[in-house]
Amino acid sequence: MSVRNRRPMGTRDIVLIALFGAIIVALGLIPPVNIAIVPVPITLQTLGVMLAGAILGPIRGACACALVVLLTALGLPVLAGGRGGLGVFPGPTGGYLVGWIPGAFVTGFLVKTFAMRVKGRVPQLGAYFVSCVVGGLLVVYALGVPWTSVSTGLSMRKALVGALYFAVGDTLKAVVTAAIAYNVRRSYPIEPR
Amino acid sequence: MRMSLYVPGHSPLHRIAARWKLGALVLCGVGVFLTTSVLVLGPAAALAVVLLVSVRAPVEQLSRQLKGPLVILAVVVAVAALTQSVHSSLVVGLRLVVLLLASLSVTLTTRTSELQGVLEVVLRPLERVGLVNASAIALAVSLALRFIPEVFQQFQDIREAQAARGLRGSPLALVVPLVVRSLKSAEDIAAAIDARCYPPTRSGRAGDSDGGGPTDRHSGKVPG
Repeated sequence: MSVRNRRPMGTRDIVLIALFGAIIVALGLIPPVNIAIVPVPITLQTLGVMLAGAILGPIRGACACALVVLLTALGLPVLAGGRGGLGVFPGPTGGYLVGWIPGAFVTGFLVKTFAMRVKGRVPQLGAYFVSCVVGGLLVVYALGVPWTSVSTGLSMRKALVGALYFAVGDTLKAVVTAAIAYNVRRSYPIEPR
Repeated sequence: MRMSLYVPGHSPLHRIAARWKLGALVLCGVGVFLTTSVLVLGPAAALAVVLLVSVRAPVEQLSRQLKGPLVILAVVVAVAALTQSVHSSLVVGLRLVVLLLASLSVTLTTRTSELQGVLEVVLRPLERVGLVNASAIALAVSLALRFIPEVFQQFQDIREAQAARGLRGSPLALVVPLVVRSLKSAEDIAAAIDARCYPPTRSGRAGDSDGGGPTDRHSGKVPG
């Protein structure tokens, strides 16, 4: 198994990475949906990040996110609301963007080594959800919060409080991502990398 | 959909080579964090404003890029002023203004292809030790640019189809078919690219991706 994973990136891997990069961008293009329970408008872009890890696996998922980060740096308006360019990186939210890369990696790693081995529908959905929360929330925030703190000079605690405001929406997105990943895996399974 | 934030023009910033602009931006980024003097940061912020104005970008585009960050900036400055001191809130605010405006100026005046050129130079040492493959990255970038409108179109097709079935607004009903379609089409696209022997072994520059780009020839349409 591990020997097969050592094979170099093929054309299909590059195409999958580019496709998921495009999906992450496209999810940012659609107007924010208001989920009824919380009054926070929610863009689906971070959903795409967790999904890239959960579907493609750690390496290709992280590459897809790195591709979106690269497109942002190249001055393309690929982030939600048509934002982009180098100005995103020094800004308060730059860490969340860069955090997508390890976030997708950890999500993919957990899905591959843990969630896919869980038996039963509900336990597996739960395992997907845990993977998404650890990768898509904990890891991303672990980079995003200190970055906000450095960028703005706010204390870590205040930056964390600001982040928690978005954590509600992100948790909901983790629920949705878990359901999507579970359904996609059942209808069109591909080997995770 | 306009893909690049680049604004064509002949301002002094447009004429400077991309590598100098990026180098200066990195230095500026380090510089503003080394000082806490308002006497240095104030003029720097003024200079950044002058730079951005000299680009002569359309106001509508500027406001779209700056609206979000400026709201965050205002909140941050207000919180800093209330909880710390007026001086520290000024330092934070000016720092962010310098960084945001300077990097936006560079983004607006540099073609995507020029930035890609700089990227290639930066990646070269990493490529030599076998960590990355520059032509694979160039292929991924140009493919992604080609796929974005395609994926968005598919997304809207699926949304209409699901709305007709009364599934309006269910993210599950939207994203699952989108992802499955993409995974299926990846197979065909990869076969098409391999059949055309792309990427070539060397001189695999992706070219200018501002326009249609060479990928139109190579990848064709996403089969769906």
